Amino acid sequence: MLEIKNLRVTVGGKEILKGLNLTINDGEVHAIMGPNGAGKSTLSYAICGKDGYEVIEGSVLYNGKDLLSMDPNERAGEGLFLGFQYPVEIPGVSNMNFLRTALNSQRRYQGAPEVKAVDFLKLIRAKAKELDVDPEMLKRDVNVGFSGGEKKRNEMVQMAVLDPSMAILDETDSGLDIDALRIVADGINRLRGQDKSILLITHYQRLLDYVVPDFVHVLADGRIVKTGTKDLALQLEAKGYAGLGIAENAA
Amino acid sequence: MTLKRYLETPEVGKNFEKRKAGFSGTDQGWLSDIRARAMDKFMAAGLPGPKVEEWKYTNLGFLARFLANENFKILKTGPDAAETKRLFDRAYMGNIAGSVVVFVNGYFNPALSSCPDEDGVKFSIFSENPEAFRQSLAEPKQATSLNNLNRAMVTDGYYLEISAQTTMPQPIQIIHLATSGSDGQSLHTRAKISLAAGAKAKVIESFMGPDGPQYWTHMISDVDAAEKAEFCYFQFQLQGKQAIHMTEMHSTLLEKAKFTHMNLQLGAEVSRSEIMNSLSGEYAEIDLRGAYFGRVKQSQDIFTRINHDKPHCQSNQLFRGVLDAGGKSAFQGKVIVARDAQKTNADQSNKNLLLSRKAEANAKPELLIYADDVKCSHGATVGELDRDQLFYLRSRGLDEAAAKELLVEAFVAEVFSDMPGGGDTVVLQQRFIEKTRGWLSKEVSS
Ligand SMILES: Nc1ncnc2c1ncn2[C@@H]1O[C@H](COP(=O)(O)OP(=O)(O)O)[C@@H](O)[C@H]1O
Ligand SMILES: [Mg+2]
Repeated sequence: MLEIKNLRVTVGGKEILKGLNLTINDGEVHAIMGPNGAGKSTLSYAICGKDGYEVIEGSVLYNGKDLLSMDPNERAGEGLFLGFQYPVEIPGVSNMNFLRTALNSQRRYQGAPEVKAVDFLKLIRAKAKELDVDPEMLKRDVNVGFSGGEKKRNEMVQMAVLDPSMAILDETDSGLDIDALRIVADGINRLRGQDKSILLITHYQRLLDYVVPDFVHVLADGRIVKTGTKDLALQLEAKGYAGLGIAENAA
Repeated sequence: MTLKRYLETPEVGKNFEKRKAGFSGTDQGWLSDIRARAMDKFMAAGLPGPKVEEWKYTNLGFLARFLANENFKILKTGPDAAETKRLFDRAYMGNIAGSVVVFVNGYFNPALSSCPDEDGVKFSIFSENPEAFRQSLAEPKQATSLNNLNRAMVTDGYYLEISAQTTMPQPIQIIHLATSGSDGQSLHTRAKISLAAGAKAKVIESFMGPDGPQYWTHMISDVDAAEKAEFCYFQFQLQGKQAIHMTEMHSTLLEKAKFTHMNLQLGAEVSRSEIMNSLSGEYAEIDLRGAYFGRVKQSQDIFTRINHDKPHCQSNQLFRGVLDAGGKSAFQGKVIVARDAQKTNADQSNKNLLLSRKAEANAKPELLIYADDVKCSHGATVGELDRDQLFYLRSRGLDEAAAKELLVEAFVAEVFSDMPGGGDTVVLQQRFIEKTRGWLSKEVSS
């Protein structure tokens, strides 16, 4: 269970999150929507511990543990996964090497034995196939020369291999064509099927046709201003933020 | 304090007199003459001071102090055998076939060596056959004051000569060891490597010593590659923490000759690697690559020069530096394209990564072009680790040290990723990676 209470976060001295509350129970899928600049990515970074995202008030507990006092890698070890809105390119580091190091780091943190090279290879091949990712791509450097859609699918491969208990997916659906969207949605649903928690950050309700959320929240001006079910996403689609009385570019 | 163009070192002359009787080849009159004349020249000039452009990043004041305190003694007993063997085992790459030539404290060590003995390959050791070095000592490729000092004091060295159209089937490992007994000693070695037309050879040279003693390794190598010859050279500098390491390599390439130089600088307190090259025949090619690492009082200098004297030649330089707290580096690379060296292709890239605000990297690429139809580029950067990349890795579970290690490895990977040359390439690549990791894991600053 993830419990965020009265979270206030500044970036570069400017307050972006202004007292945000959100609770996600095990196995629930929550969607967060909101205008550009509302603070959605800021929320994901603050939960995962990126430098420069300063928490000035509030708490974030995960399964009762204080995430805010942990290093980013410890948070990952606790089962957190962040699918980046803009996955980072890392020239000189192969996907394979990176992902194996990541998986084994998490397993060490969890006190589990490391995965053997052959088993890892089997695992990653299987996951790549599920997500229709060319295994050759995994030999290449992390995200280097990948198209926008390939980067997002690569995030999903990483998620599938690392098998988190809570995934925060920041606009994983943007930049995907309809086929890729379906593949990514299937990947998310597979995780959901194992009773994992998911926080979907999205701009469009079309992803929510495939991954039907338990709750939909609207984030504007650093706070959750509305909470509902999938219908809220449909309403937003039809009327826009202004139509629901939410100012665009509130930040 | 005034900055002098040259530093005087009167003690060196006295040391020379003391050492004289113990030099190799004292029975050779011509050699004693060369030594004496070279010494006179050195004494007249002294060491280059910080006002000499080539030495502005390496203040040789420390060397003058080292020479003033030089406690040279003619060692009655050889170096400690057990220590020598321990060092040898660390430096020797047993998984590379081929001959091995070992120098200990500046002198050839026959017990640990198995010199090349193949058709078309001539191999001589200076202390056994000084005559073979007569020409290179009489007509040095360069006559700087340090070069003169080396000629005067030369302890030992090797001469490798490959006949026309001969390919050495296996590389030669040259291993220079310094033992604890080397404290306060200057080890002046020389090499001459000569490839006749169409000859091919690979030399892997490693330098290693313990952290305790302060010794000065001073090695000068001349390389001549005739038409279509191919020479591949690796240097692994793994010297002790207090060592002074200086190597100079002077190469001359004739038509269609190829020279690949790979350089890894990890050890020593002060290190300077000079790689001076002349492309003196058309279509000659040179590929210089290196990675250097520095922390805590360490200073790493790379000094290159490429003279494009003839048309249609190609030169490529790729150097990467990683500096942690207290480390310092300088890359000075000069490319000179002569007036009739049309269709020259010259590339130079130097990137430096600072792992701490207390690290310093200097880069001074220079391009002097006197021809008009050439393709030349150079780039030099000094930067820090990318915070977004670091966070990306850490968000996936890598702790800070592991994430930094991966990024630093990636930063230098380009140097040896598509390394040219033969069957043992993988072993050598592995060596580069392994040594790099060893350096990183000791202390990646946070
Ligand atoms: N590194 C940063 N430095 C300064 N301001 C930032 C930084 N990152 C984000 N912001 C600002 O924080 C606000 C929220 O951004 P973000 O969380 O990315 O919004 P969203 O993901 O909802 O579009 C915006 O006004 C943005 O300009
Ligand atoms: Mg965003």
